[in-house]
Parts: sequence; structure tokens; C-alpha cells
Amino acid sequence: MGLNGLSPKAITQGIDPRAMKTGVRRVVRAGRQLNFYYFWEKRWFFIAMAVGFGMLQLPLPGDLSREGMIVLTMSVVATILFITEPVPLPTVALMIVVGQVILLGLDSTNVAKSLMTDSVLFIMGSLMLAVAVVKQKLDKRIAWLIVRLTGTKTSYICFGISAVSGLLASFIGEHTVAAMMLPVGITLITLTSDDPKAVRNLAAVLLFSISYGCSVAGIGTPSGGARNAIMIGYWKEFFFDPTDPESRKFLIDYVHWMAYAYPLFLVQLPFVTMILLFTFRPEYRNLSRAIVKLRAEVDMQGGLKPGDWIAILIFFLVLAGWITASGEIGMGTVAIFGAVGFLVAGLVKWEDINSGVNWGVVLLYAAAISLGVQMKDTGAAHWVSEHFLDVLKPFGAGEGIGLWAAVSGLTTFVTNTMSNGAAVAVLGPIVLNLATAAQESPIVIGYITAVSSAFAYLTVVGTPACTIVYASGYLKTTDFLKVGWKMCIMSIIVMILGAYFYWPILGT
Amino acid sequence: MSREEDRYRQELEDIYAARRERFRVLVCIDGSDESYLGLKYASRMGAHRADCDIILLYVRPIDQGLHSGGLQVRVARENMLSWGLELPGIRRLRKGLEVLVGEDELKEEWTAETTTTTVDGDPLGDNKIEYRHPSGRTIVLKLKVAPDAASGILDQYELGPYNLIIIGSGRRGRSRLRATLTPSVSEKVAYHAPCSVLLVRDLVAGQGHLICVDGSDFSKDVVMQEAMIAQRFPDPKLSAVCVAKDDEGVPEAERIVNEIRDMLKSELNFDLRGTYVRVGDPVEQIVDAGKDYSVIVLGDSGKGTMSRILGGGVSTDVMRLAHNSVMIMR
Repeated sequence: MGLNGLSPKAITQGIDPRAMKTGVRRVVRAGRQLNFYYFWEKRWFFIAMAVGFGMLQLPLPGDLSREGMIVLTMSVVATILFITEPVPLPTVALMIVVGQVILLGLDSTNVAKSLMTDSVLFIMGSLMLAVAVVKQKLDKRIAWLIVRLTGTKTSYICFGISAVSGLLASFIGEHTVAAMMLPVGITLITLTSDDPKAVRNLAAVLLFSISYGCSVAGIGTPSGGARNAIMIGYWKEFFFDPTDPESRKFLIDYVHWMAYAYPLFLVQLPFVTMILLFTFRPEYRNLSRAIVKLRAEVDMQGGLKPGDWIAILIFFLVLAGWITASGEIGMGTVAIFGAVGFLVAGLVKWEDINSGVNWGVVLLYAAAISLGVQMKDTGAAHWVSEHFLDVLKPFGAGEGIGLWAAVSGLTTFVTNTMSNGAAVAVLGPIVLNLATAAQESPIVIGYITAVSSAFAYLTVVGTPACTIVYASGYLKTTDFLKVGWKMCIMSIIVMILGAYFYWPILGT
Repeated sequence: MSREEDRYRQELEDIYAARRERFRVLVCIDGSDESYLGLKYASRMGAHRADCDIILLYVRPIDQGLHSGGLQVRVARENMLSWGLELPGIRRLRKGLEVLVGEDELKEEWTAETTTTTVDGDPLGDNKIEYRHPSGRTIVLKLKVAPDAASGILDQYELGPYNLIIIGSGRRGRSRLRATLTPSVSEKVAYHAPCSVLLVRDLVAGQGHLICVDGSDFSKDVVMQEAMIAQRFPDPKLSAVCVAKDDEGVPEAERIVNEIRDMLKSELNFDLRGTYVRVGDPVEQIVDAGKDYSVIVLGDSGKGTMSRILGGGVSTDVMRLAHNSVMIMR
């Protein structure tokens, strides 16, 4: 080797060796200043940007407009970022907003307006309600109610936890109930044994009873999860025309949703317990020791106080508002009303709400829905769905039950790679257009997508309830895979059977 | 303001200067058996000496509110705390403390001081309990919040400094490409930590250390440092090995190990248990020779990401392939 690591060959190639030496030094110096580790950690961001840039350079496919291509590119880039998370997810929302103004040339005020819809208001209100409900500390009473109904046998307690968690989660969101019930599960575990290794399977059964009980219930009503509200928003945006009375069927209200989805949740409930007990055989068949101690803790709390009664009253008023008035004033308004109620009654502090809600989620869903509407307006969703249908047809999945299974499978796959709300926001426009192209009911396909987005049983980040129970430290990521695939198969079968036999009775 | 800043800076410098006089071991606890084995090793290394501080660190990932559907995980954590339940990290740190000190001794002889640092977006923040013994020994339990475990451990070093980081290492035999492109937490810490790192793998105490030498000045520094660490054990056992590429290199390798033995004797009055010369591929030979020891000790090859992919480095390759624990010295 020659000067500073240069080979003699390079030096003799007619370049002034001194100039070369200086040049190499510069590169080496620049290399010291650059943090290559940063680029490596953020690689998916740069890959996504490169993919986006490449797509925009491609010639336009014959039947896709320039705007359509731009929106499609933004969706692909957003999807890569949703899955790989090289940057905080709300950043993706901000990028969507900037992209709509700069790349699509839309007026910034119109883009800002498109961010806030009733669905977004509903997501925001529900999250505020969630914090308020958790703060009421009704969890010990709920726990005591469960064990009073079920007795001390482990299998019955697991079913009781799933059922009660599910019933509550279907109305107030799975994250709320998971946060409330997590201490119940852990208390039962720690009161049974101090050694985590001695209660490994019991911990898995109890904690999964909470998370999967909540996950299967999240589909039950529109307030069960953000994804449901997103789908309701898409139906309205895509198919409702105020001048056409026929299109009013696309204004899905609370009760209508419940009629479709609630029975699916109830049917899945017993299977959850069966699958869990079959997969993790708990070390203790009876939890009487833990129950006695739990009872002592609940007794110390005394009876329900006036504040507790007011909280319960507000909760039932909100529920009644969703069922009876959401058609007229919007589900979002009812949720916001509930949050106002808790604040006015002094049952929760604004600081608690402010720190308990991740406002980035609201921003993220707002931007994702806005992009979804652009997918439809520019024809990008239509173009993708037509080509997707061409791919499905040779496999016999171009219509009917084959198409349902394909949509469900696709959603289940996507929802296991990103948050379920983001999955519905990304897939919604495509599958709804797919339904139109395949001459299927957009309502049925929409329900299949929203319901399937709950089947994220395989990963910790799949559903909010899974993320929350994982925070307890009792579960391993492999536990989710061990039991999750069984849950996926069970849920898909229940849903397809429901769509085939039950939904036609409701008249779709 | 500037006067206050100066005073604060001076205070920090004084703390760091005082810490540099002590032997400080950072033990990363993640609840695995390996991490407690590492802790027991740290205890053998310094628990009986007045100049030793053992810091037990558990890093909790920062809450990901987006995955929990918009409700911050802190709401769930706060609810757990209101039930009187301990978070997983605290439970594991307490178990670590029990390894180091018996309950009665802790109550009678040690004093405790608790410190909490607020961290945005987390109900608990960073928590520290410092136990002090009249002899000067300290044990610190630290629960830290960070985006990921490796960043938390490396950040903790900045608050140090430390002489040694002990961390449980995952399974052996990962490919060079995988270890470089998707390093595990222990590999990240081993690559980036400014101090020496002990990667604990199937650690059996009492079998001594095997140090690998190559005759360079850096290698001599490493030997001196390692001998000082070995002297901390009740029954120090240190052997040295030098690997020659072929038979022609054997006399030179013998000269190197002899030189090392003489240097330790003259400067530290330290006797090596044995000296060996091996012939062949350095990585294979070191991994094979080190099987019978508690820990294989090497100097850091100091390579960057690209050179690790292309050419590896003896220390990083031994770290990947060794059957037992490896200490990378800096």
C-alpha cells in the first residue's frame, strides 16, 4: 500500500498523487463527521422515499391520472412507514398533510378541513372517555363481580374475565378495558404465587383472556375501536349522496353496526377460553387462595360513592346517546359530550386526559382518512382494486365467498404488521372500490375488512389490548404466535359463516 | 445564571472525579438467568471490596401509545401502581439485590436513598435507589426509561463512567452479516460502549480467565487492565494465549507470551497460571482454547460497521462464536 492507504496503481494512473491524497483525506474526514449508524437506523425511511421517488418517475399506466399516481405513491410510502416505523408515526401524518399540498397542489385550507370529520372527532372523544373511565377505579368492583359469578375454578374465571372484559370493551374500547383489567389479572397471578416461573401458564391464560376477550369484542359496536369509526366514515364519504335517498343505507348508525357485528363477538367468546386453556395448561386449577385475598382488598374500598354513581350515569347516558342520537348529531358529538360530562362533574382532571391520550393517534387517523378520501377522489383506489380483482379472479376469489376470504386474509395480514386502525384506513378505499368493481355489497366487504382488522392476535403491536397486557412483563412475544394463529383461524371461520348465513337475514 | 451553571458543572466534575477513583460495574438486568449469573460474577469480583460500586440497571422501553390505540400505556401502568403492584423492572431489580445482599444485612448495615427523575410521557420516569455500606461500597438499583434497551444502557454509561458493563448475551453462532446488520442488544452494547464489556454466556465461575495477546502495545495495556480485574477475585486465575498463523510464527508467539508473563510479574507481581501458543486461525483457536475457562478476554478490534461486514474482527467473531462468556476490553 502507498500513501495513506492508496494503492500504487491508483497513484500511477496519471492523477497527481498529492491531489488524490487530499481528496481521500476529505472523504475520510467527511466520513468521521457523518453518523452512518443514523442512516442505518433510518434505512426504511430512505428506502420508502426512494420507492416513492421511483414510482413518481414511472410512466403513467393508461387508465390512471397523474393525481391518482401521486396519491397511490403517497399511500405506498405511508404503508412502508406504518409497517417499519423508522420515524415516529405521527410524522407520517404530517408528511401526508405536506404531500397533499405540495405534490397534489391542493389548497392548504381544504386539506386542513379534510382532516377533521365526525369519525376523527369520535376517535378523539372516545380516547378522552377511555382515560376518564379508567380513572374511576371501578376495576376492583368489576373483578369482584366476575369472581362472584364464576366461583374459584380457573377455567370459569378465565371465561368470566373474557366475557366481562369483552362486554365492556365492546362499548368503551378495548384499550380502556385492557388498562382497567390488567391489574386484576396480575393481582390474581401474584396472589397465587410470587414466583413468576411457577405460574407461567396461568399468567398467559389470565392475561390473554383479557387481551383476546377485548380484541374479539372491539368489533361489536362502533365505539369498540377507531377502525370501526374509520369504516363508517368511508362508507359515508364514498357512497352517500344527499340527493339520492337510496344511498342513505350507507349511513351506518350504532344499532345497525351492532346488529351485524355483536353476534360475531358473542359467538367467539367461548372459543377464546377453549383455545387458551387448550394451548396453555394452567398450573393451578383453582384460585381460591387468590380470591380470598382479592375479596379482602375490595372490602377495604367500601360501597359505591356518589362520584362512582355519577360516573356510571354519564357512561350510560353516552351509551344511550350513541344508540339513539348518533344518526342526528353524530357519534363524535356524543363522545365529546361524554368527555365534557366527566370534566364538568370533576371526575377527571384535564391534565390526566391530556397526558393519558396519545394525540398523535388522532392526527394519524385524521391524515390517513384524508388520504383515503383522496385515493377515491383521484381514482387511485378504483385503479388498484380493478387490478387486484384481475389477480383474484383466476383463483376463484373474484366474487362471493372467495372474495370475502381474500379480503379477510389480506386485512388479517396487514393488520398484523401495523396498528389495526391504520390497516383499515389504508385498505378501506381499496376494498370498498373492489366491492363495487366485483358487484358485491360495499357494506358486507366493509364489515369484513373492519372485523378482520381485529384478528391481529399474532403480534404484540397488533391490537391495543395486546400491547397493554404485554406491558405487564409476564408474556413473551412467542406466546402471541403460539396461540395467535389458532385465534386467527377461529375468528376467520366465525366471520365467514356469519357473513354467509347471518348477514343475508339482515338484508344486505 | 452562569455562576449557577459553573457551580453545577463543578459539582458534576467532582462527582465524576470521585467515581473514577472507584471500580464501577454496571450490570444489565433483564430477568434472564444469564443476567443474574453476570450479577453473581460481579459480586465475586467486588462485593467484598470497599472501592467497588455495583449498579443494577433495568431498561424499560418508552411507552408506545400508538400501538395501544391512542391510550397511553402509562394509564395502564398508573392503574397497576394504584393496585400496589410493582412494575416488572422493579421486581427484577429487587431479585438482583437479593443476590448481592441478604435481607437482614441490608436492613441492619446499609442505608438507602431514593431519587426520581421525571421523564416525559412516563408515569414513573427514571428511578434510582442507592444503598450505601459504612465501608464505602454502594449498590444502586436503576430503573431507566429509554426508546430501546441498548440506547438506555449506552446512555447510562454517559452518566457513569463505568469500568465494566456486564450483560447477558443471547445464543451463539449468529452469522457475521446478521450480527452486524441486526445486532442484538448485547452486541450493540459491545460494539458501542466506551468501556470494557463482559458478555455473559453459560458462565461458570471459578475456572479463570484466558486472555488473548498479539504483542501490540494495545494488547499489553489490555493485559495490565485484565490482570487488575483478575486480582479483584478471591482466587485470581489468569492464563494467556497467543495464536501464530503458521509454524514459522511459533517462536515469535512464544516470545510474546513470555514477555507478557515477565511484564505482569515485574509490574504487578502477578503470576499467570499458564501460557499457551496455538497455531491456526485466531478465531477458531481462541474459541477452542477458551472452552475450559470462565471468560475469554480480548482487546477490542475497534472496527466500524463496514469493516465488520467485510473482514470481521477477531474480537467480534469470537464474541459471536464462543461457547462461553467473552470480555471485550477497552
